[in-house]
Amino acid sequence: MPETSSLPLRVAVVDDEPLARAVLCEFLSVEPNVEVVAQCANGFEAVKAVSELTPDLLLLDVQMPKLDGFEVLDLVGRDVAVVFTTAYDQYALRAFEVHAVDYLLKPVSAERLSEALARVRERLDRGERSASPGAMAAAKPREGYAHRVLVRDGPRVHVIPVDKIDYVQAQDDYVCFRSEGKDYLKEQTLAEVETSLDPAAFVRIHRSYLLNLARLVRVDQDERENRVAVLTDGRRLPVSRAGYTRLNSLL
Amino acid sequence: MHPILARLERLAGYLALWGAVGVFESAVLTQQGLTWPEALVQVLPPLLVYSFVCLSAWYVCRATPLATSGVPRVLTASIVAAWVGAALWLALNEAWLATLESMPQVTPIIPRFRTQIPFLFAVSVMLYLLVLSVHYVVLSFEAFRTAERQQLELQVLTRDAELRALRAQVDPHFLYNCLNSISALTGSDAAAARRMCLLLAEFLRTTLRVSMQQSITMAEELSLAERFLSIEQVRFGARLQVEQSIDEHALECQVPPLVLQPLLENAVGHGIAGMVEGGTIRLDVVRRGDRLSITVENPRDPDAVPRKRGGVGLENVRKRLAVVFGGAARMDAAASPTGFRVAIDLPSTVDA
Repeated sequence: MPETSSLPLRVAVVDDEPLARAVLCEFLSVEPNVEVVAQCANGFEAVKAVSELTPDLLLLDVQMPKLDGFEVLDLVGRDVAVVFTTAYDQYALRAFEVHAVDYLLKPVSAERLSEALARVRERLDRGERSASPGAMAAAKPREGYAHRVLVRDGPRVHVIPVDKIDYVQAQDDYVCFRSEGKDYLKEQTLAEVETSLDPAAFVRIHRSYLLNLARLVRVDQDERENRVAVLTDGRRLPVSRAGYTRLNSLL
Repeated sequence: MHPILARLERLAGYLALWGAVGVFESAVLTQQGLTWPEALVQVLPPLLVYSFVCLSAWYVCRATPLATSGVPRVLTASIVAAWVGAALWLALNEAWLATLESMPQVTPIIPRFRTQIPFLFAVSVMLYLLVLSVHYVVLSFEAFRTAERQQLELQVLTRDAELRALRAQVDPHFLYNCLNSISALTGSDAAAARRMCLLLAEFLRTTLRVSMQQSITMAEELSLAERFLSIEQVRFGARLQVEQSIDEHALECQVPPLVLQPLLENAVGHGIAGMVEGGTIRLDVVRRGDRLSITVENPRDPDAVPRKRGGVGLENVRKRLAVVFGGAARMDAAASPTGFRVAIDLPSTVDA
């Protein structure tokens, strides 16, 4: 037997309904080599549990207060395998797009849960975690653009409404959201952020900068003929030639 | 087109019957002293042509259907048609005899043929009436079968409408979540699971029953709402609280069925379910003079992303109120960042 199989599978159960958690825990209690490390009633608790307890698997409800299941996956999907549990079948396609390991429909059966656990073990044995980098873009709302950006800071989650974002800056493997005088780092590419935000409100002014148009005061030229965007707080951001064309077409 | 002419095998059967009638008539004539060949030669050709004349009975039947025409009219039409038909037979017969007269070997017996005409004419009238009544029988039988099929179709449609009404009123995801709760309770509290099954059954049965009715009393609507909330309380536990103030005089008022139910469903699904700590749904029912007002208020999470699917149930209620009361009823929905409020104002009618 491979060594990984002898370690218990550590599971966090996330659902806002106590009975929905109870039935999953009951099924898990008779599964061999499974340990329930946390029961969470909402998305914030789930993110905290992932940071502090590093479970192998999240059994995750989709419709929950504050953060829905897809938003939770967006925040912690790189650190933990996710199996969705929901009464709604219409999320299935999207669930697999964001690389959920499985998708269980309520009422959940013990057999179906066992299958999902086997699938999770298989993935872990292959050394894979859950979501791939493409997951982030898919985690935006299906129709329309994101209303808010979620950034995980260890066990905490910052919820940033998009109209509070000044600009987004690419920094190596991360992007930095600038909002109300603070910077929030998130592991994501600037291109992914760009596709999730309303193109009429956010414009790519530079390879490394996505600007909230509402923050733009004017475009200056510096002494070396480079264009510079001046923001409402006085901050100056570089504008590339292509970025300037895009800006002009929007203004 | 006539149903007999539409199919070759029917036509063949029909003509065979007429052939048999012709042989029978000839047999009668042989008793009158004619030989078989003579009788057959006289009877068969006009009779076979006459068989097509008799098909006109179908149009007579359709023009004077038994169901809608009075007896005198049917009798008059039948007798007139039979006489006209028989007169045509007479003409056919004359034409045939004229043809036969031109043949020298037949000429001598023509006078003997002519003596048979009154008998054959009478038989033709009877035959026409017989064909006519057979047509009436067939048509009635078809009408009966059609009516039966329509009745069946109507039943299917009604059942279908009932189910659609149920579907429209009961969100299937509500059922799935309910069943999941029952499944959970089965392991921990069998008695509670049983209670939940009964609640759910009662809720579904009542929903189906009242959705078929034009109007129900406010008391019935409230008891349905109570069952719904009891079920949701099992799911949400302490997160779902309900406060209600019900005017006693409102209980006897007649309301369209399931007018309150979608409001509560909305309050739970789009309000309480989105709040970590839950909240309190407020239900007020007041009767003032000839007006009845129903108000449902619920808190909601100000940060929640607005859901797209909301409002279908409310829109349904609005439409139904418009159909039932026209401009005499109104529904107002008001959303604030922290709450949602729907008020229905309608005429307070009481069943005498």
